[in-house]
Amino acid sequence: MAVMGNKKTKVSDEIPSSSMADIAFLLLIFFLVTTVFPKDKGLSMVLPEESETVEVSQKNILHILIQPNGAVTIKRGESQQEQTVRPGDVEAIWRQDVAQNENLIAGVKTHPDTPYRFMIDVLDALQSAGAERISLQVLEGE
Amino acid sequence: MSMKGGLNRKSKTSSEVPSSSMADIAFLLLIFFMVSTVFQADKERGIEWAQAEATEKIDEKQKNILNIWVEANGDVFINDVQREMSEVRTVVAPLYRNNQSMVISVRSDRNVPYRYIDLVQKELVAAGVVRVVFATELEQSMTRERR
Repeated sequence: MAVMGNKKTKVSDEIPSSSMADIAFLLLIFFLVTTVFPKDKGLSMVLPEESETVEVSQKNILHILIQPNGAVTIKRGESQQEQTVRPGDVEAIWRQDVAQNENLIAGVKTHPDTPYRFMIDVLDALQSAGAERISLQVLEGE
Repeated sequence: MSMKGGLNRKSKTSSEVPSSSMADIAFLLLIFFMVSTVFQADKERGIEWAQAEATEKIDEKQKNILNIWVEANGDVFINDVQREMSEVRTVVAPLYRNNQSMVISVRSDRNVPYRYIDLVQKELVAAGVVRVVFATELEQSMTRERR
């Protein structure tokens, strides 16, 4: 009885709780440091300023017409020839055309009834191809 | 050494400030500030994002970004207030005058007809704001392949 009692008093049977708060603080600081708030993301554009109209020669414009069903029609400058492609194909077309004419401007004309996502698809393709001179317009009279 | 009352009294009351509950007090303070802090952010409008591969992060301070929400039916919300399309320029222009480095984030539903986006753009140009971001979700090339 005497021996057993002595052993019991020497080893405490409780988990030490004095450092609990420190552990909690460490955890807290860890999560504070590692938390990343979601940043805004998107496709950035610079709109033309008001009254800023620049006359551009027709041969420097690549017309990209977006129809309500998502079909994309490509018209090059003055030629009447049309080419219907998918939004994803615009990237290759732009790369190919800008190699021939470095002053090329992308004129994106979207039909008023076209869902927004098709216009974003085309804008995405153009920005993926590195296009910077992009003009966003509404397709009128068709 | 004398064993008079003075010494006895000293040993009874501790001369230290009790520090065992300090952490609890700190936690309480922390929780109080967490609860009482209000972030200036407008509530999510539950729109479906358009997806784009070229999506990039906007390297701009949060206070320089103004969100314009365009819902699928063409409703426009700025700072949690619904606005008429023609009101947009009168709302944005004074905000832009106070903060010239403002960027507009156009947060539109992927199915909104393009005419509304065009009207918003025209309003922004009229308000003098030219730096615009079309908010999109990053599209993985895998999903594009399937489409």
